[in-house]
Amino acid sequence: MSPCRSITDHDYATVGLRAAAQLATVSALSNTTEPAMRKRNPAPHETDLVERLKAGDELALEAIFHLYSKRLYSVAHRILGTVADSEEVIQDVFWTAFRKAKSFQGTAQLSTWLYRLTVNAALGKLRRSKKDKEVDYEEYLPKFQEDGHHLVRPVVDWSDTLDEKYATREVQQLLAEALNQLKPVDKSIVVLSDLEGMSDKEIAVTLGLTVSAVKTRLHRARLFLRGKLAAQLGYSAT
Amino acid sequence: MAARRRTQPLTNKTCKQMTDLVLDYLNDKLAPTTKRDFQRHLRICPDCVNFLNTYKKTVAVTGSVAIDEIPQTVRNNILTFLRKRIHRLGPIR
Repeated sequence: MSPCRSITDHDYATVGLRAAAQLATVSALSNTTEPAMRKRNPAPHETDLVERLKAGDELALEAIFHLYSKRLYSVAHRILGTVADSEEVIQDVFWTAFRKAKSFQGTAQLSTWLYRLTVNAALGKLRRSKKDKEVDYEEYLPKFQEDGHHLVRPVVDWSDTLDEKYATREVQQLLAEALNQLKPVDKSIVVLSDLEGMSDKEIAVTLGLTVSAVKTRLHRARLFLRGKLAAQLGYSAT
Repeated sequence: MAARRRTQPLTNKTCKQMTDLVLDYLNDKLAPTTKRDFQRHLRICPDCVNFLNTYKKTVAVTGSVAIDEIPQTVRNNILTFLRKRIHRLGPIR
């Protein structure tokens, strides 16, 4: 089927069969491809999909959707927190990927490009909705004496207490609330690092930041989350 | 041992400096000498041991948040949207 003409109902019947066969292949690939997608060169089938996408092949778009939608939705949902917003973002991402495929540079990985589109779209949406909800980090960051010792001593190890006092679901709820108080960029960095397992360098490329900026923001965000959990348990954030 | 302690301080890092190095320590990105200093400080500073444990716990809890699966209806909605938009767009040149 030529990708450069309108698709008729007859095409759809044909496309349906082709798509089913193709997507079965893609589905089989996706289980092994997704977890390792950031640590390899583009697979031949992915390069082919990109070329077809650039030519306007909607089946290529659907194949890419089946490869990456699960992971991208997870990122969007973790940043945004609602199904409706996440759906809108993923919809925009794949529509943009289809329309702007020609601007995709072969030197970058398709996954990196799609992650960037997703995080930027989610960040934009989050920034528009957040306004004044952010909390000042300082109150929850460690404090030190002039000689460099912890300001409040002894520092309590509450890591076991957290599990004893709260059920897993409650801890995750506490954490979700704390995550929502992070600055949008910091929240994205935590999601990509601690939930998606991306390296600092990969996050820097995805967000257009320096590695140093990613590390600084990630560390401060983690310290803030730690402070929030400590405060919830009745301990000092320091 | 006592003589060695007199000539070689047990640690030349403060707790504040330790805190700044935690991220690189956990990623095993510290230079060997800095890593040695870091571990030496941990051996004599229970406050920093406890701080490190709670920092690691925070990262672990964050990473354990359940994955949000894309609902089937959402997948279908998006695919339907994309197909409609592509047909409305017509051929790409």
